[in-house]
Amino acid sequence: MSEHHITPLKTYLIIASLLLFLSGVTVWVSYVDLGPLNIVVAMLVATVKASLVAFFFMHLLWDDKKNLTLFLMSLMFFGIFVTITLLDTEFRGDLGLNPEVKNPINNRAAFYDTLPLTDTHGHPVDGHSDDHDKDKDHH
Amino acid sequence: MSENKKQNYLNHPKGLMSWILTLDHKRIGLMYLVSGILFFFLGGLLALVMRFELAAPGNDVISNEVYNNAYTLHGAIMIFLFIIPAIPGALGNILLPLMVGAKDVAFPRLNLASFYIYSFGALFAMYTIINGGVDTGWTFYTPYSTQSSSNVVPMTLGIFIIGFSSILTGLNFIATIHKMRIPGLTWYKLPLFVWALYGTSLVQITATPVLAITMVLLMLERFLGIGIFDPALGGDPVLYQHFFWFYSHPAVYIMILPAFGIISEIIPVHSRKKIWGYKFIAYSTLSIAFIGFLVWGHHMFTSGQSVFSQIVFSFITYFVGIPTGVKIFSWILTMYKGQVSFTPPMMYALAFLFLFTIGGLTGIFLGAVALDIHLHDTYFVVAHFHYVMQGGTIVAFLGGLHHWWPKSFGVMYNQTVANIAALGVFIGFNGTFFPQFLLGLRGMPRRYATYDEQFVELHSYSTFWSGILGLSIFLAIMNLFWSFIRKNKVDPGSNPWGGMSLEWTHTSSPPHPHNFEEEPVLQHGPYDYDKVIVEKTYNK
Repeated sequence: MSEHHITPLKTYLIIASLLLFLSGVTVWVSYVDLGPLNIVVAMLVATVKASLVAFFFMHLLWDDKKNLTLFLMSLMFFGIFVTITLLDTEFRGDLGLNPEVKNPINNRAAFYDTLPLTDTHGHPVDGHSDDHDKDKDHH
Repeated sequence: MSENKKQNYLNHPKGLMSWILTLDHKRIGLMYLVSGILFFFLGGLLALVMRFELAAPGNDVISNEVYNNAYTLHGAIMIFLFIIPAIPGALGNILLPLMVGAKDVAFPRLNLASFYIYSFGALFAMYTIINGGVDTGWTFYTPYSTQSSSNVVPMTLGIFIIGFSSILTGLNFIATIHKMRIPGLTWYKLPLFVWALYGTSLVQITATPVLAITMVLLMLERFLGIGIFDPALGGDPVLYQHFFWFYSHPAVYIMILPAFGIISEIIPVHSRKKIWGYKFIAYSTLSIAFIGFLVWGHHMFTSGQSVFSQIVFSFITYFVGIPTGVKIFSWILTMYKGQVSFTPPMMYALAFLFLFTIGGLTGIFLGAVALDIHLHDTYFVVAHFHYVMQGGTIVAFLGGLHHWWPKSFGVMYNQTVANIAALGVFIGFNGTFFPQFLLGLRGMPRRYATYDEQFVELHSYSTFWSGILGLSIFLAIMNLFWSFIRKNKVDPGSNPWGGMSLEWTHTSSPPHPHNFEEEPVLQHGPYDYDKVIVEKTYNK
């Protein structure tokens, strides 16, 4: 039914050198501090490389478009997962109940520094534990 | 020809090796069925132990630690070893190629591999039980699951492996539905069970990899101390819940969509009436599969996630009600003015309509953030998901087993006993779980081995009826297997319910090893009761 597309060797070589070039870009860009854009650039280069492999080496470009649809669907579902999860992590404490809106995860983690030290079985190992128990009783 | 007629997939070829290495989808389906039912009994036994512990307050039967293990294993076994693999693996495998007119699934060897991957994963789960159990709950929430000294690793490893089996089965079914249909069997002429399997398979291949990633991340944190979920290492415990429910909410639809498919087959056949709203039911399957990916946060309303995402998740959750309502109303309209016969499959389908509707409607209660904060982790939630999973999926599974039993195995069970068992399941189920709604509303938390005096009455009531429920399910399954001993064979050409899809009209009971003796030619759609008269034929 479907005929196999025969890709000229030239195309393979061009794509391969493009991939090598982009690997170079990844290395080069790691020496440049772009602030929060660091991760964006790195992911962008990686995505372009992965797409080149999928489209040319894995023949997605010439294949049945259903397969392309499935490939794009997987990207879409990944996008949904990340985007909606960020709706949580980026908006923690958005009712103003917690003032530390920025860096919610690290700020929450700071709470653990105030806990009494315990050994692996949960037994207290210093004098703080009594205060902690008192607090519990009040609640 | 008569020699040929006696030949079926159960007796040809013969020998143990012909079963162990079989590539026949029907035999693989049967192996899934037997292992699924064994795990169903194991999970059910654990449930009964828990119910007997809860018959009275205090630790009368088992200790707190054993109770923690019992509810974890009950959940994990029922979900990962029975419900998720059993319906697509057993009924889907046996029926899908028959329904599309194919000789087998698209990749028979992959199909056998899926079964062995499932068995291999199940071994890890069994090891967990022998080695002292696991006490985290089936959700394996961090931070406890990264610290618990129980067998979190073998259990999660088992689930990781079983996930691959699920993905491969899904892949196989999608390829089969796309490529193996006989000429003329267009998408809108497919039986709705096939549409349901298609939706299920899409969810399986898109969601299950996330479960695998979650389990790997959990193990990386346990073994290598990489901070992903532990705040002390810079991780986020709520992130675990995002990962887990991104798989596990769609997994709810992996469990319920095949059940919808079964009901869409049983109701028109036993009402002898064309299904109402074919396209709506077909597309509602796909839209449930899609919306199912956008609502996972409704499991996390008390986890401390941002209020903004609470609102988004709550809002989207209500959308699930639309395609589900479309299905329920279509089934009811299908029965309207039909010739409804109260055969055992139809009894289960009617029980499904009643129980699943309660399960679905209480889901809307829980989708409302304000109410969920009150009801979260109470028995209300326990009752809700049992109405969906047991009242919905397992009741539909039993209905499907009764419906296709004479087709799959060529024997007919005692229908009176089957009807009594179905009634017992319905009454026993409501008796067990309805009181749990009330318990939850009054504040009884889930996952506790003991409780306050005020809950005694409802708990003991629930325990009493759980015994009836257990006995009824046992009776139903035994009645089915007893039919092999009774040797109440149906005629190979019989069509006891008057079904119209290919598996009823074009293949013998039990089917030929190659499904069809000659290439089937499509003469009518699967529900054309308004155009063609199909006789009910049964040798008795």
